[in-house]
Amino acid sequence: MLDQKTRELLKKVRDEAAEKGVSASFTIHREKSHLMRIGNSSVSLNTSEELTRLDLRVVDGRREGTHTHLVELDDPDTAREALDVAVKKAAMAAEKSYQPLSETVEDDMDESPQFDSALANLDPAEKAEAYAEIFSRTGDRYNYSGSWSSGVTEIYMVSTANEREAYHVGTDQLFSVVLKDPDGSWELRDDQTGWRFDQFSVDDTVRRLTSLLPVFRNNRGFRVDEGEYTVVLGSGALSEIVSFAVFTGMNGRMWEENQGWTSDRKPGERIVGDNLTVIDDPGNENTFRFGFDLAGKTRKSFPLIEKGVFKNLMYDISSAARFGKEPTGHHTRSPSMVIGTGDGPGDPLQAVADEPRVLWIPALHYMNMPSISRGIFTGSSRFNALLVENGEIVSPIFSTRITDSFQNVLNNVRTLSSTEVSENGSSTYARRAPVAMAVPSYAVIEGVKITDCAESF
Amino acid sequence: MSDHPEVQRQVESGIDHALAEDADYCDVRFYSKDKSEFLLLYDGNLEANDTGTESGLGVRVLWGGAWGFAASSDLGSIEETFRRAVRNAKTASTLVRIPLDMGTQSPQKGSYESPMKVSPFEVSLKDKLDFLQRIDRELEEDWIQRRMLRAGFQERRVRFWNSEGSRIDKHLCNVFGAMMIMGMDEDGRMQRRSHSLFTTGDGTRGWELMIRPELFSSHTERIKTELSQLLKADELEYGKRSVILLPGQGHLQVHETIGHPLELDRILGYELSYAGGSFVDLGSFGELRYGSEKLNASSYGGVANSPGSFGFDDEGTPEKNYLLIDKGILVNALTSRAMVREANERAGRKVFEGSGGVARASSFYRAPIDRMTNINVEPGDDGSLRDIVEATEDGVILDNPTSWSIGSNREHFHFGCEIAWEIKNGKRTRILKNPTYQGHTLEFYNSLSAVGGRSTWRVEQVNNCGKGEPNQTMEIGHGVPVMRFDDVVTGERG
Ligand SMILES: [Zn+2]
Repeated sequence: MLDQKTRELLKKVRDEAAEKGVSASFTIHREKSHLMRIGNSSVSLNTSEELTRLDLRVVDGRREGTHTHLVELDDPDTAREALDVAVKKAAMAAEKSYQPLSETVEDDMDESPQFDSALANLDPAEKAEAYAEIFSRTGDRYNYSGSWSSGVTEIYMVSTANEREAYHVGTDQLFSVVLKDPDGSWELRDDQTGWRFDQFSVDDTVRRLTSLLPVFRNNRGFRVDEGEYTVVLGSGALSEIVSFAVFTGMNGRMWEENQGWTSDRKPGERIVGDNLTVIDDPGNENTFRFGFDLAGKTRKSFPLIEKGVFKNLMYDISSAARFGKEPTGHHTRSPSMVIGTGDGPGDPLQAVADEPRVLWIPALHYMNMPSISRGIFTGSSRFNALLVENGEIVSPIFSTRITDSFQNVLNNVRTLSSTEVSENGSSTYARRAPVAMAVPSYAVIEGVKITDCAESF
Repeated sequence: MSDHPEVQRQVESGIDHALAEDADYCDVRFYSKDKSEFLLLYDGNLEANDTGTESGLGVRVLWGGAWGFAASSDLGSIEETFRRAVRNAKTASTLVRIPLDMGTQSPQKGSYESPMKVSPFEVSLKDKLDFLQRIDRELEEDWIQRRMLRAGFQERRVRFWNSEGSRIDKHLCNVFGAMMIMGMDEDGRMQRRSHSLFTTGDGTRGWELMIRPELFSSHTERIKTELSQLLKADELEYGKRSVILLPGQGHLQVHETIGHPLELDRILGYELSYAGGSFVDLGSFGELRYGSEKLNASSYGGVANSPGSFGFDDEGTPEKNYLLIDKGILVNALTSRAMVREANERAGRKVFEGSGGVARASSFYRAPIDRMTNINVEPGDDGSLRDIVEATEDGVILDNPTSWSIGSNREHFHFGCEIAWEIKNGKRTRILKNPTYQGHTLEFYNSLSAVGGRSTWRVEQVNNCGKGEPNQTMEIGHGVPVMRFDDVVTGERG
């Protein structure tokens, strides 16, 4: 954990910079990461990294420069050298046509809203044991793969704008297991997420996998014809679609520059169905909570879509400066998006009991947007996708592609589950950045366009 | 290693420690300097002026058939990093059904340098900005709403050791560049045209690559003209027709539907929980008709100037030039040492001769995985783009991706492109906007009906290929010619 000495060291260099009239921000990102990867029912990689990054940004009039140094920060000279790089870069940079904003810690903060020492200090052997138990209880005849990432993220920030300091420490984990039938070509998946180790349960994974096994063992895959279907989107697929919609529709820069799918609409107008509400809520326990963003702004509950109405746009520090707006606390890698729940029953099968034919697609693989401006997205089903008739599971379905628009899909949500679940969206590209979204456990959507289907899962 | 004798000493003793602890194998990568820079001119404003430096050591230990990995940027804790890697491997070995085995390889002593005249890090920021701003001014027009110019530079010095006595030094350099402009079409929607810095496969890849006009800066007028035409264009209508992929699009098609499905770790199921699997299985090699007789695809391909050329991979295997698909038949995969041994054992026959030298890691703090090198389609004998167009009855020429979405086993795909040129009876007719196409991989490559000659072939650079857990982003090259595929589903149903 970041000790007082490192904080003092950074504050000292900050004070020196301030005295020289340099406008600079200093952010430490420290991670203690562990990941166990499973392939062919074996641990294929057991890896741990402890990395500290120092991010510096210097604003020099209308010029700016940033520098990141992956470094052991035990000496003020290391921070001074990195600052010097950023100062020189800013001095040589081209002037902008507008005044860039400087990072400013808005409120003194020392937060650990989601820190679990059991997860922070988890012995990797416990992960191996849990996987072994899942394999033996679910069935040794299957081939298993998966991964289990856990770790600690610390962020510490000061800037020359004031004397305040902001510190965050939190833990997070993302567990997954994929079961592959050795004879067939189908696979099942189960995930778990959270910030406490005791949120993980072997029983839950075994129960969910074993309940789906008979469907896949006893039925051939169903090839879905192209056309429009009522679809049950699971929390994974729903969170993926809504987060793409929010980050291309409620992004201040994209909206101002006419790039987004909402660019011809204004805040206050209804843009999707009135049963859809999306808030960025850093207080929601089903997300990874960060009380401040990387510009030092205190993060607060921020409505994006309320009952279908376009409420607000998100501005990070650079788009706020460019368009003369106030930053909204969205200079962050870890937003806390929350989709409001509805009044649907806990079990999606009950919600579609009267429907003759429904596709249940828990997650979308490799979603992308052929046209951001028109809100068109595409992605295909992967893992645990099912054909449901009159509320009964009939068979698994082959890899099925949805190509549709946000405007269509988010206007035709018939039912939203009343149960909220946490959907982990973290990636580990470069640095640890925990992200989770709080979402209804499913949504029933009518008239979803299916545009292709494979002959395999 | 004259500049880091203490690191050298500690690494040697660390390898001894791992072997004394009964490790099957151990390798180490020390990045004495890993520098990166990213510049973005956005509507003329320098919106990114970022640099990064990293240095540190990654240790990989195979113990009891399982990998343990540990990394640290603290050169004061090399001993502890080795101990942690051994400990991680021992823990991993408690759950092993199929032990991994690196086999043996003769020790490699060597070095590799990316061909380079001027390091991009020796060019002043001012000179770099002058260059980008000049291009930016050429792109500026009242009717163009957005201009983006990106430049990315990397320079790495890496020393590799393994427990077999290999020692390899690498000095790698990459230069990436891209320009994009946007404008509003008649429906009030944004259209875009872009161009990325490519290579001819020859020459050097320092700063001098970026300033060769024919590869980058001279494309401004072309993309402006094409964007202005796109803004007034009709929409591509749904239907089956031929598609002619220019290298700007063809390279991504090859990347996603030849490169990824032929990574052996994917085929063996090691990526199932993240990137996905592959429709290819071990029985496919030597048997599967992947494409028409016109399809010849290779790994590495003897391309000197590419991000996919690196001399030796990250487990000490020299890079190899070999065919993946020979006249349409699948013959080989992208392979590394342990994957080859496992595949041959599982198949009960020698499917693969030896490692293809594709194990690479994105940084010192990531472990090597199977990666594309230069995944190329060899030039064919169907002449120039013009020759191919003249021989096409009903089709579209497509360039540059806006979107890519691929099935989890790479069995099907959907791409969106920036621009289409309609072809009717051997002649280009209209420009069409919002083009998309989709297909099923084998059916698609079996419909390959024309492959352009050497004049149409070029190396496109990819710097954002994501794979692995923890996630890694890798740099790759694709030498591809113009290719025509028939009866492809294009556009979206109304
Ligand atoms: Zn890729």
